[in-house]
Amino acid sequence: MMRQKGLAGCVAIAALALIGLGPAAWAADAPAVLKLGTLYAGSGAFAVPSTSEHEGLKFWVDQVNAAGGTYVKALGRKVRLRLIAYNDRSSTTTAAPLYNQLITQDKVDILVSDFGSVLTSVAVPIAQTHKMLLFDPTGTGAALFSPDNPYVVLCSLPTSAIWPYALADFLKKFEPVRRVALLYATNDFTGSQAATLRERLRGSRVELVYDQGVATNTSNYAVLLHNVEAARPDAVIEFGYANNDIAFLQGLQASGLKFKMVFAIFPGQLFSLLRKNVSEAGLAYTYTYPTPPLLAYNKVNYGPGLEAFLREYRQKRGEDANFLTVAGYNTGLVIGKTLATADKLDQLALRRAVEQFSGKLFTLDGLFKVDRSGAQVGELLPVGQFLPSGNGVKMQVVFPFALATGKPVYPAP
Amino acid sequence: MLAYTLVGGLLFGLYFGLVALGLNLVFGVMRLVNLAHGDFLMLGAFAAYWAYQLFGLTPVSALAAEVVIFSALGLALYYAVVPRLLASSDPEMLSFILFFGLSQALQALAVIAFGNNPRSIPATVFGRAPVRILGQAFPAAWMVSGVVSVALVLFVYLYLYHSRLGRATRAVMSSREEAMVSGIDVHRVSAAALGVGLMLAAMAGAFSPFMLGSIEPGMGTAVTTVSFTVTVIGTLGEPLGTVLGGLVYGMSLMLMESYLSSWANLLPYLLLIAIMLVRPAGLLARRARYA
Repeated sequence: MMRQKGLAGCVAIAALALIGLGPAAWAADAPAVLKLGTLYAGSGAFAVPSTSEHEGLKFWVDQVNAAGGTYVKALGRKVRLRLIAYNDRSSTTTAAPLYNQLITQDKVDILVSDFGSVLTSVAVPIAQTHKMLLFDPTGTGAALFSPDNPYVVLCSLPTSAIWPYALADFLKKFEPVRRVALLYATNDFTGSQAATLRERLRGSRVELVYDQGVATNTSNYAVLLHNVEAARPDAVIEFGYANNDIAFLQGLQASGLKFKMVFAIFPGQLFSLLRKNVSEAGLAYTYTYPTPPLLAYNKVNYGPGLEAFLREYRQKRGEDANFLTVAGYNTGLVIGKTLATADKLDQLALRRAVEQFSGKLFTLDGLFKVDRSGAQVGELLPVGQFLPSGNGVKMQVVFPFALATGKPVYPAP
Repeated sequence: MLAYTLVGGLLFGLYFGLVALGLNLVFGVMRLVNLAHGDFLMLGAFAAYWAYQLFGLTPVSALAAEVVIFSALGLALYYAVVPRLLASSDPEMLSFILFFGLSQALQALAVIAFGNNPRSIPATVFGRAPVRILGQAFPAAWMVSGVVSVALVLFVYLYLYHSRLGRATRAVMSSREEAMVSGIDVHRVSAAALGVGLMLAAMAGAFSPFMLGSIEPGMGTAVTTVSFTVTVIGTLGEPLGTVLGGLVYGMSLMLMESYLSSWANLLPYLLLIAIMLVRPAGLLARRARYA
């Protein structure tokens, strides 16, 4: 009898511990800080966008720590964050062991990849092997996502395969455009955009009269521009990274060639960098995908609005934020929301938490919504055009027509 | 399109000849491979950029300052490291390591000094109107770059063949030991060659924003690869052969960009392999004589 009472007592204590005292005990054993590991490119081809993105993430971590930490539902309290970051110098061969080091040596709780598809491509298989959820800010290449890999979530841009949806629709619906030239850098990011554009224009009245891939490190477009001109296009679409866009637009200026419509990706993402290298005159009448801060999303239900963020960033950092800064910061917001939603801290629980708020989260970067493969499908990038304004240029959205703030100026004067 | 490609290839060829000329001169005189050659070109590019930003000087106007700064830098670098290097048991091999280290150091310092942002000089600095040749329009900057390249090649020719120092330089290129025995101040000649080599690299750098795209601290590595290719095509240790190497490279690059653009970046390596298989000593190599 006594033995039975003793057993019942033990069970009761155990039950109490599990029901009531359990979380408190767990919290007591829980880490004082959560380690957030990432890479950035301090030099090399991706240094400019990568450091901007990293600054955005760092800004979020600083903001969270200044407020006493981020709320972690699984622990029932706020926890401070420690950012561990290594410089991969834009090299995938340097990045691969560093991602590994973050997981196996530093034992980070949260893993965030570096900027873009190239430097994220090596992180995806490593994260999958170690069953670690990868928060991917801007690695948008379609090949990075597959339904059988639950360990990746794209946070701040749609997967590149859907970037050109609005652009393709614009080209199809904009009557004066019938002949299109497509020039793209042969990497996953721009290659998948080229493939999407090609596919969506197929069977339409729009003809692809020039379709050429170039190496990603192409820095001189002079000859290519003359080849494009020989095809007599109504619109020239150039898909490349920032360095490609700069070289392309500079080459265009120097050549004296004029096209009726020119589209490039990065004027809409790294406006101040492009302005410095190409000048306002070189950007005038250029089409692009406008992103924050050139584009403001009014519906925000998590984190600060764009204006508030830009103001605070300027105040604290003494410089203006660009889109990649917004993207890095937005990745932080997604991580914060994940930690505030997940019941447990294991990696698949974090992934399930992402699915819970996917489609319901509106941040300064727009709607966050991922598909089964973790690819972001919430934001659809509109088409915008830079128009001369005073001594500079201003952005106007020209498509989708429902969102348009002005009509396209075509042909460019 | 072919006319554009050929004229463009000629202009780029002249420029690439200039890019590699300093590297070959240094190798010819000292038998040292300057793996930091592209980084000195990068510094020359930044010098031209800042001259434009701060004083509104065009790259042509900035050349005089570059001559003084980079010649002095070459002389200082020579006396600081090269005599010790030449005294070692395997100077050629050690030069690889030393100049590789120098290249990395220059890139790191440039990142600290200038940041990572790509920078440009407006393409319209030499005028907005393109220059027309054979009915084709070429950027004015290409023409200026071509003309400056020809002028500098001519300068190197006059230096080597019509000056006392140049004759001594050729003697050292032929045989360092014999030159020393015949009373030539080999160190003075070599220091001058390194000064001229760096000066040529920096002057080529002044035009790189127009010919190679935006400038950034990491650009030197690719430039050194191209320079090495051009040098090998035109014959190592034969400075004026570099011009031929540059023309072959420039023409091939333009043809590749016109007709096989996806593969254009393979060109330096393809040409290196081809020249190694067909004419390993370079296009202008003299037949070796064995007494």
